[in-house]
Amino acid sequence: MTDAFSSNSDAVLQRGVDVTSGSDAPLENVEEQYQIKRTCDFINNNGFKKVALQFPDEVLVHSVPIATEIEKSTSAKLFVLGDTSYGSCCVDEVAAEHVGADCIVHYGRACLSPTTRLPLIYVFERRPLDLEKCAAAFRELYPDTQSHVVVLYDVNYSHAIDALQALLTPSYPNMVVSTLVLDHCHGHSEPPPVGPGEPGVVREFGRRCVLKAGLGVRDYSVFFVGPEGAVLRNFMMTWNRVRFSAFQPATSASRAESPAVNRALMKRYYAIERAKDAGVVGILVGTLGVADYLAIITQLKETIRRAGKKSYMFAMGKLNVAKLANFQEIDVFVLIACPENSLLEHGDFYKPVVTPFEMEVACNRGREWSEDYVTDFRNLLPGGQNHVALGSEQEAGEETDVSLITGALRKHGLWSEEAAVPSDDPSSLVLRNQNLTVAQTHTAASYLAGRSWQGLERKLGETAVTKAVEGRRGIAIAYEGEGKSS
Amino acid sequence: MVNFTIDQIRAIMDKKANIRNMSVIAHVDHGKSTLTDSLVSKAGIIASSRAGETRFTDTRKDEQERCITIKSTAISLFYELHDNDTAFIKQGINGNGFLINLIDSPGHVDFSSEVTAALRVTDGALVVVDCVSGVCVQTETVLRQAIAERIKPVLMMNKMDRALLELQLEPERLYQTFQRIIESVNVIISTYGEDDGGPMGLIFIDPVIGTVGFGSGLHGWAFTLKQFAEKFIAKYAAKGDLTLTPEERCKKVEAMMKKLWGERFFDPETNKFTKTCSGSKNTVLSRTFVHLILDPIYKMFDAIMNFKKEEAAAMLEKLDIKLDTEDKDKEGKPLLKAVMRRWLPAGEALLQMIAIHLPSPVTAQKYRCELLYEGPGDDEAAMGIKNCDSAAPLMMYISKMVPTTDKGRFYAFGRVFSGTVSTGLKVRIMGPNYTPGKKEDLYTKQIQRTILMMGRYTEPIEDVPCGNIVGLVGVDQYLIKTGTITTFEAAHNMRVMKFSVSPVVRVAVEVKNPADLPKLVEGLKRLAKSDPMVQCIIEESGEHIVAGAGELHLEICLKDLEEDHACVPLKKSDPVVSYRETVSEESSIMCLSKSPNKHNRLFMKARPFPDGLAEDIEKGDVTPRQELKARARYLVDKYEWDAGEARKIWCFGPDGTGPNLLVDVTKGVQYLNEIKDSVVAGFQWASKEGVLCEENMRACRYDVHDVSLHTDAIHRGGGQIIPTARRVLYACQLTAEPRLMEPVYLVEIQCPEAVVGGIYGVLNRRRGHVFEECQVMGTPMFIVKAFLPVNESFGFTADLRSNTGGQAFPQCVFDHWQILPGDPKDATTKPFQVVADIRKRKGIKEGIPLLDNYLDKM
Repeated sequence: MTDAFSSNSDAVLQRGVDVTSGSDAPLENVEEQYQIKRTCDFINNNGFKKVALQFPDEVLVHSVPIATEIEKSTSAKLFVLGDTSYGSCCVDEVAAEHVGADCIVHYGRACLSPTTRLPLIYVFERRPLDLEKCAAAFRELYPDTQSHVVVLYDVNYSHAIDALQALLTPSYPNMVVSTLVLDHCHGHSEPPPVGPGEPGVVREFGRRCVLKAGLGVRDYSVFFVGPEGAVLRNFMMTWNRVRFSAFQPATSASRAESPAVNRALMKRYYAIERAKDAGVVGILVGTLGVADYLAIITQLKETIRRAGKKSYMFAMGKLNVAKLANFQEIDVFVLIACPENSLLEHGDFYKPVVTPFEMEVACNRGREWSEDYVTDFRNLLPGGQNHVALGSEQEAGEETDVSLITGALRKHGLWSEEAAVPSDDPSSLVLRNQNLTVAQTHTAASYLAGRSWQGLERKLGETAVTKAVEGRRGIAIAYEGEGKSS
Repeated sequence: MVNFTIDQIRAIMDKKANIRNMSVIAHVDHGKSTLTDSLVSKAGIIASSRAGETRFTDTRKDEQERCITIKSTAISLFYELHDNDTAFIKQGINGNGFLINLIDSPGHVDFSSEVTAALRVTDGALVVVDCVSGVCVQTETVLRQAIAERIKPVLMMNKMDRALLELQLEPERLYQTFQRIIESVNVIISTYGEDDGGPMGLIFIDPVIGTVGFGSGLHGWAFTLKQFAEKFIAKYAAKGDLTLTPEERCKKVEAMMKKLWGERFFDPETNKFTKTCSGSKNTVLSRTFVHLILDPIYKMFDAIMNFKKEEAAAMLEKLDIKLDTEDKDKEGKPLLKAVMRRWLPAGEALLQMIAIHLPSPVTAQKYRCELLYEGPGDDEAAMGIKNCDSAAPLMMYISKMVPTTDKGRFYAFGRVFSGTVSTGLKVRIMGPNYTPGKKEDLYTKQIQRTILMMGRYTEPIEDVPCGNIVGLVGVDQYLIKTGTITTFEAAHNMRVMKFSVSPVVRVAVEVKNPADLPKLVEGLKRLAKSDPMVQCIIEESGEHIVAGAGELHLEICLKDLEEDHACVPLKKSDPVVSYRETVSEESSIMCLSKSPNKHNRLFMKARPFPDGLAEDIEKGDVTPRQELKARARYLVDKYEWDAGEARKIWCFGPDGTGPNLLVDVTKGVQYLNEIKDSVVAGFQWASKEGVLCEENMRACRYDVHDVSLHTDAIHRGGGQIIPTARRVLYACQLTAEPRLMEPVYLVEIQCPEAVVGGIYGVLNRRRGHVFEECQVMGTPMFIVKAFLPVNESFGFTADLRSNTGGQAFPQCVFDHWQILPGDPKDATTKPFQVVADIRKRKGIKEGIPLLDNYLDKM
């Protein structure tokens, strides 16, 4: 019975973690696979004293041998960071700061979102790439040697990409190979600095490629090396007019991606419509590491306020259905996270979760839904390539609109009459009429009023009066002595 | 035509007792618009500036091309009643001039919503019936609605020319036909009307009191018994050289009318009326209606159509009909028309019938108020409506939106029930979701302009008092389709209209160029406003759906969308129907689901509704807003529910009003009230998106049998309960033999006997089945009634025509939902295929999810 009603702390410790890619393979070549030498050089050259090693769940099993190897060559104190609060692709600077680390070594897949606080080195797990098969697949997909193709790849294959380029460039003069943008970290050869306005340079999701003068991304096809996943999906959503094909190194299979992305965009449009309907928005802080996350929160808050909606902010670590369903008064959530974790399918969630871009489409009248789709919220900020300023408050005015989900009318923008309501000043007099109560209706209050159960039931006179007794101790997940009494 | 300045019209508007708001309703092709034309040409008001222009009711190009009315159109008529006739009016009047606001409505079932909107703003209805085809399905539908709205009907027996010229019916048989039609209309009235007529009094139609007109809209002639009675009275009065006061004359005429219908006979020998058909010299007498009314008309037809010139001339002489010189040269049909028009002008007869027998707003609003107004019957608004008081607070109902020449903007069209609406007035605009005391769906705005709507023309007017129909400029953006406009702060809503058809046919639209998507969305929003019935929605799959009542309705909507509202090229999917998910047995096991933290368990079962309950909920006989005890008693009495359980209905769903119920049958569970909101939220979710293919649920009852909860409130919050409730409901559905339901049309087909066989063939191929087949009395026409699944109805009309040589005309109207036979889990059945198709279209994972996903072990 004890276990049925409260889980004991042992169970929490023993709970299994779902790890997707099983790298149970015995660790054969720590040096080669995890680039121990490069890591040690990075630490020693910069004279770091405390180093945080951040591992994703699936590499955590190798953390001890790796740390041991590094300790052999450096004098720095090492800390292993596991169970990252948000996505393990992001750099967990907050955890590193808890131990006062000077720098972070990030292992595993990375979303390459820029960070701000600590020096950083990425160690990508090197996965094998069959160059011959990859090149053959490329030739098969693009028989025309004059094709304009951008080559993108998952970070795990960056080590082999130079070789692939060398193999293909002679026959494909118009091929462009992207490079990873790691200019904010130390220890990498810095790519040549380019201003954001330089023509022909395209930056997206930590990748950078230089296109031929006079051509845009739309004039190119994309060849992607790596497994299906968030990286590919993000690129397909963002460059949704471009033809994609992908080579999967694990199976050596290649295929042209179907234009199903159009369908995906339509689904996201539904989410935008839900966001427009919403009266209360929950801002989910899904990262504390990606640069400018505070700026986007501020911008979103203002955007949401101007649209006449209320916002609340939530920091709840990794998301799950049960956590979000606890807040029934929230109509839509907007998730601030790195691009790879931004797109959540809303299937099982009680209320949809949208991206900052979608929220802006819903709330900022200046921004129209077009073919451009932005998953990287940094592009929405002032100075970003997709920034759209909010109109001035006066000109925004009031507007109504038909919801295509409920078929009802919805308000948009700040309504002057509401702003003028004296409720702002609780001491002012309000005219009372026969069937309206004096209390002003607020979103949260009216939600509460609509609930059948509004809190503790007093049951006056129904409960016997007793003397105060000592209550329980401890935290809610497991009170001391709970379950033993029953 | 009458020419008025706006000021003159405005002056008439104040005489509320002399206003008649009426709609013309009928089955398709029974001749509403043609008949309306003859009224407009007689008495249509046109502002002086518009004089000379015509074709008032045809406002759309496609209406003219297809010869079918699509939108209802309002026009105002002015009619001056003769002093003698005012005595016939049994309600208060104010002078002789009558302002008649007439709304011509479409007859095709697909546009029934337009009729509903028209009925709401009128007090009387002119029901037009083709005397050859008789009462048809749409006649019944619209008449039923009229009765439910407390609209007083009068009948017009149209197309008499066809009965005489084409069918060549004997006069006595024609009388029988009339008699039968009148009876069927009265049967409908008594079936759907209130006992003893309710507060409206008796509303049965009866030729004797003059509420039935006969004639031909096409030829422009019509009469009621009153016309003939008057002619006879005038004859006798001339003999006796008496001068009658209007009252005396009225009494005489009314007495005479009684003798002209039914089992009354006339003996020409004695010049006496008798009640038996045996005459003084053992002759068989013909009834008065035949002898005195039909015979002269038949003779006239015979004389003119068979070119018996002398005979015709003699008759013209006798009846004192003077023709224009140009008409005198005519022969055959044209001459017949001219003569009949002179003799029995349609406008005169009908306008008299309208003015005398239809109620004024003053009369009608007294008894309509309780149906129109949701608020208490004694507040200022209700009193204003009841008394039709133009000094009371404004209460106005907007029944539809009419597109303006300015793209995307609409006139809000409606009726002022109380108070006066004026340009610049600051009003509260309340949408259908407004509840007093809340701010939802409420806007306070100024009316930019008030306008008179006359056909396709509009004239600005300063203000309009209650009892009149008016258009408003500048409120369209605060309303979707309908709403209430008031100046009274505590006003409740005017009741929303109930439509007789539902949008069961759907088409997905896509833009050819993705960059045009915002234009499509904008277009859909405009379309949603411009039609009272159409639904424009975005589905979770991202598809843009337009849903309408039928193929024709959708075709018109999509055409409007592409050409007028969105103005971008569109791709349209084939029409599909929306399905419903249901269950057919009680859940085979008690379903248990545990919350994510495993600390809470919900035990539930599902079972199907008893037959009829889902319909009762949809009709509004059982509603969530009903008083608890009354609802429980209804369920106990009608469906033999357990009295205790009937009182513990937690909610309706989906959307809090749908035809599924969540019932608490637990015994003494602690904290149950705390999780009620969460379980209800899960229920709304699961009943909106069923487990089979995320379609709405229908006719399902879910019982909460037991609940075990963590003792600490933090562990039984919404996050734990909502997803769990949804899972257990899905488990319930899967264990209760889930089924799909499809919508079914009632089809009525009119055709000659020879092609009935062809109809059966077409219906059989389309899973239809005939349940009634009968001959229209006195004609060679047959009427076949059948049920046909909506899904099989696409292209049905064309198929039917090609199989019957174009001689069969179907009318399809949504009738009910029926279970699509077969287990959707069995791969060989049709429901399996349907589910697979829907899941594919919606982009959800293939195959119905397995029970293991939702059912937990103890």
